[in-house]
Amino acid sequence: MLQRVWNAFRASRVGRSIFRVGLPASNLERAQVAISSFLLHLQPAKVHKRTLKPSTTFGLGLISLYLFLILGVTGVMLMFYYVPATDAAYQNMKDLEFVVTAGRVLRNMHRWSAHLMVVFVLLHLCRVFYTGAYKPPREFNWVVGVVLLLLTLGLSFTGYLLPWDQLAYWAITVGTNIAGYAPLVGQKLKFLLLGGHMVGESALIRFYTLHVIVLPGVVLMLVALHLWRVRKDGGLARPDEPAFVQQELAPGQLPTSKTYGLMELARGSTPAVGLAPEDVVFTWPNLIFRELLLFLAVVAVVLVLAIFWNAPLEELANRVHPPNPAKAPWYFLGLQELVAYSALWGGVVVPGLLVTALVLLPYLDRRRRGLGVWFARERKVALTLFTVCLIAAVVFTTIGSLFRGPNWSFQVPWKPIPAEEQAFH
Amino acid sequence: MNDSDPTQVKRRDFMQLAFGWCSALFALGASAVAGARYIVPNVLYEPDQRFKGQKPEDYPEGTTFLSDIRVFLIRKGNSFRAVSAICTHLGCTVNRGADGHGFHCPCHGSQFSDNGEVTSGPAPRPLSWLLVSLSRDGRLIIDASQPVEAKKYLVI
Amino acid sequence: MDTSLRRYYPWFAVLGLLVGGLVIVAYYKDQFREWRSWQQVFRKQELARANTPEARAEAARIPVEIHQLVLPGLNRVDRCITCHAAVDDPSYSGFPQPLAYHPNHDQHPFDKFGCTICHQGQGRATTREAAHGQVPHWDQPMLPMKYIESACGKCHLASDIPNAPKLARGRAVFEEVGCIGCHKLNGVGGMIGPELDKVGASHSPEWLMKHFKNPAAVSPGSGMPPIQASDADLDALTLYVLSFTGEEMSAYYVSMKSIPGQLAGRRLFQEKGCIGCHSIGGQGGKVGPALDGVGKRRSPDWIVAHFRNPQAVTPGSVMPQFNFTEQEIRSLTEFLLSVTDTNVVGFMKIPALMTSVARGKTVFQKYGCAGCHGAGGVGGIPNPNAKTAQQVPSLIHVAAGYTKDELKKRILDGQREIPSLDPAKPHPPLYMPAWRGRIAEGELADLVDYLMSLMPKADNLGF
Repeated sequence: MLQRVWNAFRASRVGRSIFRVGLPASNLERAQVAISSFLLHLQPAKVHKRTLKPSTTFGLGLISLYLFLILGVTGVMLMFYYVPATDAAYQNMKDLEFVVTAGRVLRNMHRWSAHLMVVFVLLHLCRVFYTGAYKPPREFNWVVGVVLLLLTLGLSFTGYLLPWDQLAYWAITVGTNIAGYAPLVGQKLKFLLLGGHMVGESALIRFYTLHVIVLPGVVLMLVALHLWRVRKDGGLARPDEPAFVQQELAPGQLPTSKTYGLMELARGSTPAVGLAPEDVVFTWPNLIFRELLLFLAVVAVVLVLAIFWNAPLEELANRVHPPNPAKAPWYFLGLQELVAYSALWGGVVVPGLLVTALVLLPYLDRRRRGLGVWFARERKVALTLFTVCLIAAVVFTTIGSLFRGPNWSFQVPWKPIPAEEQAFH
Repeated sequence: MNDSDPTQVKRRDFMQLAFGWCSALFALGASAVAGARYIVPNVLYEPDQRFKGQKPEDYPEGTTFLSDIRVFLIRKGNSFRAVSAICTHLGCTVNRGADGHGFHCPCHGSQFSDNGEVTSGPAPRPLSWLLVSLSRDGRLIIDASQPVEAKKYLVI
Repeated sequence: MDTSLRRYYPWFAVLGLLVGGLVIVAYYKDQFREWRSWQQVFRKQELARANTPEARAEAARIPVEIHQLVLPGLNRVDRCITCHAAVDDPSYSGFPQPLAYHPNHDQHPFDKFGCTICHQGQGRATTREAAHGQVPHWDQPMLPMKYIESACGKCHLASDIPNAPKLARGRAVFEEVGCIGCHKLNGVGGMIGPELDKVGASHSPEWLMKHFKNPAAVSPGSGMPPIQASDADLDALTLYVLSFTGEEMSAYYVSMKSIPGQLAGRRLFQEKGCIGCHSIGGQGGKVGPALDGVGKRRSPDWIVAHFRNPQAVTPGSVMPQFNFTEQEIRSLTEFLLSVTDTNVVGFMKIPALMTSVARGKTVFQKYGCAGCHGAGGVGGIPNPNAKTAQQVPSLIHVAAGYTKDELKKRILDGQREIPSLDPAKPHPPLYMPAWRGRIAEGELADLVDYLMSLMPKADNLGF
């Protein structure tokens, strides 16, 4: 019955005008689904079989994208109740918690997805590095990815201020002060970002505007570019196929094997017919179904977190009494730890070098050896360098997050802070 | 189950797919409903429709305008009644006539009699008379959500 | 490689069910709200009490929803009445909470004042624990009833309200022990200790009590001397200090302070120096008529007219026209009406009529000298590591060591560096602030007269 209504609808003018291709029955239609659908055409009609193997990417980039979508939806929902003003923002948080139907769970989803997105974007970066996927021809897409990482941090950081509680206020105060250590532009940047010398009403509206329109808009466009480049750069990075040897032809002799340029499906030189075709499968349904599964899994994880753990909300922001210790958001705590030793190192040298190194990486390390292989032996030096940096970042971030108590003194996380030190704030 | 039996396999596949799709669509639908419910406000930051005023003796003889809910409270000795000051045309606030009689709307010129009936202008309906009652701690309650006939008074 | 999707079907089914299930769990967790059950209890109660069909119909119409009092002038939204549904219903007096009636709210109607401005707690919350403020990250749990009078002090002067004896006592203790000698309150006071403008908002009564008894125990490194007073007085002091919340309120609430009244009139009467020409109870000037019993002799209209233009009412009067505002005239009139024959004696302390020593004593209190030098200047307040026996010196014998001018100079200049007993130990925490520019010329003269008078008679005879 439903089937018949659906068929009638599909056959009608309206139905045909909306859906260009129905559920595909033939290979032609399977290709058309991917090519002619607006959302699906970011993917090729056919993908390499390696793409489907979970261990190729662990779906890290896709998970980041899903989290971004969840953040977009929940974020727009939160905007229905949120007013970016210092005397209203915190009260709105309380309303979401106490009176709005499903308000708390939505806020929790938004908060935990934001943290997860930072984690998964970083993991995605590690994956791309460890499989050498930034090597030619994917150098530029790596740079786009680095920019997306910075934008993700920016999105999370700007969102951090919006609840206007102690946690938010002082994390942004500390975080923007780290930015203030940058030479020449640091203080000016901080002034511009905050719209003043301290976090206040103008900082809130600036962060809000950045958070809800500027940064998401840029991210959305760059994500589209990022995905499109994945496709145009030849799909996911994979080891070079067995070399196709161009036959040396004597003058006047015709080639014995025919080559095709697979327009839009692969870049560069012409793959030989008969060498590779069995390695590709149709995107619909093979890839699409797996993507759907991953989406369900991400939603499930976010829901579990949001149902059973509440997003933090501390006291109303108080610009006089900081909590002790006042900490930046966790992903900046490595830097805060470094700033505690040396403002120059934590505020300038390390973040500057890190970003520069990441951007330049694909242009410095250009050999195609080890492309698409996890921990390729040929890349010992690069792997070691990256791993050392990674471990250092993890160690400093862990120390900053868990091992720093009042007055930034060293503190083991399993020992509670004495009550007297908490009493006065 | 026998993996080699093609009909069994087919049936199992179908069940699993059906389960998956049904619950995924259910989740989508439920989320949409929850989202719709989410945007319905549970508390309002506007004066209560059921407005609690002062004690009856605090209101002077004649007409008092209660700006919080845009209502004229009319006292005549011991009897009270209330008429909404919201014009039935397009929601402007009507004024008491200059001579203390009738009401007129400044926006599009509707005129109402003392009893709230339309005497001229585009207003489609008479002004609404509202239920006036007494709270248990002795204050007047004007309920803007409960219209009554014009002749209904609260007599103290 | 197996590209068949079939092996993922079970996963799909499981994940689909999981997500669907989680949505249901989220919904139920969200729908279960404590306040609903209390509203049901209220509704049932109303239904049980309804004895006419109309009343039953009305009770059945009571919606189960969140009720709130929106109080923009107080920056508050109080949802307490969602569970405390009968606070304004006298027929619920004596009911167990949360349905009890709240008596005595005539002058502070709920729709203007709400609940938390007096009781504290978290007005926006809709669970018992969170609303009563017994949760982390909420600074103001509900105020114990024994401290409730502190709420009056947020708007009223302690002297203006007769129903808050503890608040008045607390204020008296605050002045007697001289807190503002070291602390600033609303811009007045010393700089040795921290400002007190908002301490009541962020400290619990227990903390304050401990702090008064042994400051260093709760504020490590504090040099504040323990306050010597009875437990009852410290309790009153705690209550008074709790009223320092620094809250900003809209004009509606602030104007309560300036509504014309006897007390405002009495202050004006002093400030404008009426007593220079008129007398009450035999004290005061003789230029104008005595004001004893003026409230009986004259009508309110006469007094008002007189203030507007004395000569119009009493031709030939030499009383100047003061150009009082209408509100000042109302206040003064109310005050004068209260001056009847019977209440003249001891009616007011009029500074102009006191001796300089007596005035000096009030100056000594006003500037909080007692905070360090002890009540009546007897000393005994510890100042660790000070050369002067580790105490703030007593002032009893200043007359023996200083001339009046020397003493004035000493007070005006202060002494920032107090000599240490043991140079290796930290400096003594208390020091003598410089009062130049902060104390009026006349006040200084009175204060010196008072200090000079402290010398015990017997000692005086020895010289």
